[in-house]
Amino acid sequence: MTVLYDSVLAVVAAAGLLTLLRLVRGPGALDRIMALDVLATMIIAGTAVGMAARGDPTPLPVLVVLALLAFIGSVTAAHLVEKREGMR
Amino acid sequence: MNGLERARRGVRHLPMIAWLWLLWILLWGSVDLEVLLGGLAVALALVAAFPLPPALPRAVPRPLRIGALLVHLLTDLVRSGATAAWQALRHGPRTSAAIVEVELRVDSDLLITAVAELTTMTPGTLVAEIDRRRRLLYVHTLPVHDERDIHHRKSEVQMVERRVARAIGHGESFEGFDGIDGPSSRRKGG
Amino acid sequence: MNALNTARDAVTAVLLPAGAAFCLLGALGLLRFPDTGSRLHAAAKAQTLGLLLVLVGTAVQMPLRHAPVLLLVALFQLLTAPVTSQIIGRAAYRAQALDHRLLLRDELAERLEREGTPAYGQEREADEEDEGR
Repeated sequence: MTVLYDSVLAVVAAAGLLTLLRLVRGPGALDRIMALDVLATMIIAGTAVGMAARGDPTPLPVLVVLALLAFIGSVTAAHLVEKREGMR
Repeated sequence: MNGLERARRGVRHLPMIAWLWLLWILLWGSVDLEVLLGGLAVALALVAAFPLPPALPRAVPRPLRIGALLVHLLTDLVRSGATAAWQALRHGPRTSAAIVEVELRVDSDLLITAVAELTTMTPGTLVAEIDRRRRLLYVHTLPVHDERDIHHRKSEVQMVERRVARAIGHGESFEGFDGIDGPSSRRKGG
Repeated sequence: MNALNTARDAVTAVLLPAGAAFCLLGALGLLRFPDTGSRLHAAAKAQTLGLLLVLVGTAVQMPLRHAPVLLLVALFQLLTAPVTSQIIGRAAYRAQALDHRLLLRDELAERLEREGTPAYGQEREADEEDEGR
């Protein structure tokens, strides 16, 4: 089982790195917002795998808060971008 | 009279109170007396402070249809995840898309929201713009090669709409219908 | 009891790698797709599916009092992912971040051209009133 968890974590980490690449590359603000949102879900996924590996439920509230924050953050940021474009 | 009306209004909030209470208990992960009482107090306070209009005015619950909708949602999610992944691998930068206008027949905020959510979960479609007043969805669809694909996508979205209307619409089972949403999911033509 | 544990491990051993694979595919889509609109497909679908699989796979391993919270997070994700992607998609269209050469057909633009008015004219006015400008 340990091998399984480790390899799953490695795959999620690789996915996170790829997402980070998109975050750096952009090109638009919306692409970065999207990449950040995806990154947040990857952090949630990684934390969950870590929890399963150790059988330790301590980070559970972190997952809940992260899920809430990612949603509110992305929606707010996207809304602001839209508004800014509308001003032009 | 006044008391009766007030009691009825209280009953309408019961599902929300129950849901908030359940949420509190789940988040605490225990059923101690403090948690139970505290949760009830918080739920009551929240509903009193931020009352929401009922989303489904005295709807007839159709658990079977709602269950079918959920099963569809999960299978659709798996299929659409697979399609999006396949598109990314196979075509990548040379994918072709279209923005398609879909006319809806349902006319209530809740139903349109549900249709939009589920459309995003069906393979290859993603709602980009909603025109609430004219009941139009503008759907960004991904693997599109010709006009036939576009027609196909449109009918897919309308199938989602039909499923939603059957599960939670209240046009078909008219009894107890409040009139708040107008004559919503009544069938117009085919 | 032991059989139950084996069953749990089996479910986890299927769901977690599948979830991780979809996460990776979602990230690949995010990188490979050419414009914001198509990238959204990868983010909204492959990614959500990946996270959902991972969360369920983890919930199976957790003691009964913690598992529902994970499912709650999964449910929340299921409800919010379409909302996020719709709002980003709408913003992308209005900010002209979509690559129109990739679009076989754009019925929203066709309609805007037909009517000569932005579909969201009223909304934008309301937004501007909000800001007091």
